[in-house]
Amino acid sequence: MVHRMNPWTKLALLFFVVALVTVLLNVYAVLLLLAMTILFYLAARLPLKVLIGWWSLPVLFVLSLSILYVFTEPGTAFASLRLGGLKIAVTDNGFVLLANLMVKALAVVTYSLTVFMTTRYNHIVHIAYRSMPSTLATVFLLTYRFMFETADEFSDILDAMHSRSGSLAKGVGRRSRTYAGIFGLGFVHAFERAETISKAMEARGFTGSLPVTSGLPRPTFKGYALIGVAVVALAIAVYSRYFDTNLLRW
Amino acid sequence: MAHIHLEDGAFTPFWLIVWNLIAAAMMGIALLMLRRQGASPRRLAIASMCAAVGFAVFQIEVPTPVGPAHMNFTPLIGILIGPSLGTVVVLVVNVFSAAIGHGGWGMIGPNSIVNIIEVVLGYYAFRLARIHLRRSYFWSGFGATVLALTISSFVVVLIVGISEIQGSSLTRDQTINNMLVIAALNIATGIIEGVVTAYVVSFLGRVRPDLLEHHRIPDQVQENIVHAAGVS
Repeated sequence: MVHRMNPWTKLALLFFVVALVTVLLNVYAVLLLLAMTILFYLAARLPLKVLIGWWSLPVLFVLSLSILYVFTEPGTAFASLRLGGLKIAVTDNGFVLLANLMVKALAVVTYSLTVFMTTRYNHIVHIAYRSMPSTLATVFLLTYRFMFETADEFSDILDAMHSRSGSLAKGVGRRSRTYAGIFGLGFVHAFERAETISKAMEARGFTGSLPVTSGLPRPTFKGYALIGVAVVALAIAVYSRYFDTNLLRW
Repeated sequence: MAHIHLEDGAFTPFWLIVWNLIAAAMMGIALLMLRRQGASPRRLAIASMCAAVGFAVFQIEVPTPVGPAHMNFTPLIGILIGPSLGTVVVLVVNVFSAAIGHGGWGMIGPNSIVNIIEVVLGYYAFRLARIHLRRSYFWSGFGATVLALTISSFVVVLIVGISEIQGSSLTRDQTINNMLVIAALNIATGIIEGVVTAYVVSFLGRVRPDLLEHHRIPDQVQENIVHAAGVS
């Protein structure tokens, strides 16, 4: 069902998911949103293990920047430590803030992954050309096309380095030279590939934009209905935040 | 490496719109410059490949004394392809990063502002060091990268300090103090990235000097240097 959903509908809902996590402050409301995005992911019959693996990235990033707030946010302290006159305390409000940011991140990432894993490449091409300037769309799509090949190339080079005990090299200078050689080689290959691709493109009559070979219909009535529900949800969230904070009582 | 590792929901709607509008304006200027210079297939393909490499490198952890660090090579991308194409590249990399949860969709604007500053500063600082100060590829690359990443670290502090984290009761000063700790770590990893970039630029200068052709010391100056050295 999700795979057959119109990509424009999925993209519009992505916008509303992002808008909702930006407007909503209540952690229970955001938890509800996270639950709905997980249901959406499961409805697409995508593997849960992959989702848990992908969650590690936003969890790491939220922790890396927000961990300080656990210690500095004013509130009731769970535990505290004195270090030479300085008091470091873990507070309840700090944990709530961290949890809020984490849940928001997971809701958006879950939905984003579902959209990208259920949308065909030629539909992404169509959407890119309709929503971006053609130069930007061309760079975006060429990058998408060659991103995986480049990542595999780096992965192979790193494996080769590790298999030759390259990871045992000590010292900032030696390691920097080793990795610099790998990255430099990556850029050299990138430029060579770019030159080959551009000649191939010109030989095939490239005029400045990649051809869009398939059309994309407008959303169906159900798609518009879903978008309508998202608009109403966002309107309620905005109203409850800026005009009537007692509207949504949890 | 300076990247705002915040996901969607961290900034208020107002500041999200402000930073994204500023980023859109910077992107508009870059696209106008590209149109004037001419976006040939070769330049578009180079930009795409640099974006692909930049994104792939972003996922690699380099072991450093301060722990594993992620390079993003935005100053290097600026050095290689210039500020206008580099601006397009950083936007594309930020979009793909947002798709995998490395920063939020709404944070594309603030992150693009930070990375555009790195690209532009990297390019011009490298040109200044290479052409006007006549430094070697290594020291030009090192200096340009460290300068760009240090300034961008403070831009991150500025953006997050002005916007504040929504839901937090901390004052602006307290938020800035928190961010200064992150900035110190970013500057430390920026120095490491500076060393790696310097070696990369030296490597490229040896194996593919044509990629750094636009940073070559002008022939006239080159001749003057040769004459001054007493070489016929």
